[in-house]
Amino acid sequence: MGSVPYSGRPGIDDVPVKIVIAGPFGVGKTTMVGALSEIPPLNTEEVLTEAGALVDDLSGVSEKTTTTTAIDFGRLTLPGVVLYLFGAPGQTRYRLLWQDLVRGALGVLVLADTRRIADSYDVMDLVETAGLRYAVAVNDFPDSPDHPGDVLRKVLDLDPATPLVRVDARDPASARGALIALVEHIEEMLP
Amino acid sequence: MTPARRPRRVVPHFMAAAGLAADHVGVQRTTLVHVAAEVVADGLDPPASHLVNLLERGPLAAYECAAHLHLPYCVVRLLVADLVAAGTLLTRDPPAAEMPRRELLELVLSGLRAL
Repeated sequence: MGSVPYSGRPGIDDVPVKIVIAGPFGVGKTTMVGALSEIPPLNTEEVLTEAGALVDDLSGVSEKTTTTTAIDFGRLTLPGVVLYLFGAPGQTRYRLLWQDLVRGALGVLVLADTRRIADSYDVMDLVETAGLRYAVAVNDFPDSPDHPGDVLRKVLDLDPATPLVRVDARDPASARGALIALVEHIEEMLP
Repeated sequence: MTPARRPRRVVPHFMAAAGLAADHVGVQRTTLVHVAAEVVADGLDPPASHLVNLLERGPLAAYECAAHLHLPYCVVRLLVADLVAAGTLLTRDPPAAEMPRRELLELVLSGLRAL
């Protein structure tokens, strides 16, 4: 608690917009949230209970110890809107938390690592089950194999309309480019 | 995500004893929270007064408040709802995003491109 180590707050008239960055452990979610965020990335605790995050009173959680997980998130204020970036864990054991966490999200950026592409299957399952709009960003690591896009599309079973972009999660401009691809896709999908 | 799974009490004793009891909890993670005009934090319980102090410099999302208070989101959500019911805090809800407005998407795109 104590001092807030940054200046700048969104305006009360700014529209809050949630964007989820999802992917398997170690894929670069934390890095990407940090590259995009105007504040040092924060950690908020989520309680994992049988009832997921559907906790509407303290009676269920106040008397017992419970498992928690920390979610990274960041903020990016733009004229008229404030983006909230949530780094969501990509394992299906987090399904209940996921359903609550992604509710109301504009869309999901799925981060994938081509060195272990099978780790992304759980995330794809979560995203598609939730019926969310998404784009896939392949985080370029120095030793990433250079798979052609059509091979990656086939392996991830992507719809032809779903954007597949390369990103350097450490680079703010590159990370913003991936977000732009996602939002452009969401706009194209509007009726 | 940073793994931080460890068993411990989720709700501090003093909060559990206070028995937060908002009728309807409409607070979401990205709900913007701010302090109502002419509110003084005097006389509030510790987590509530911390929250009001935190918000004196301007609005924050409920999720951001939870990070600063070092309390789980599900607890802060109820705390915010309680303080809204008491007239201490005001909120701005995020828009329903099931079918986003084109104008909102354009705002996001133009903002990102301008950076």
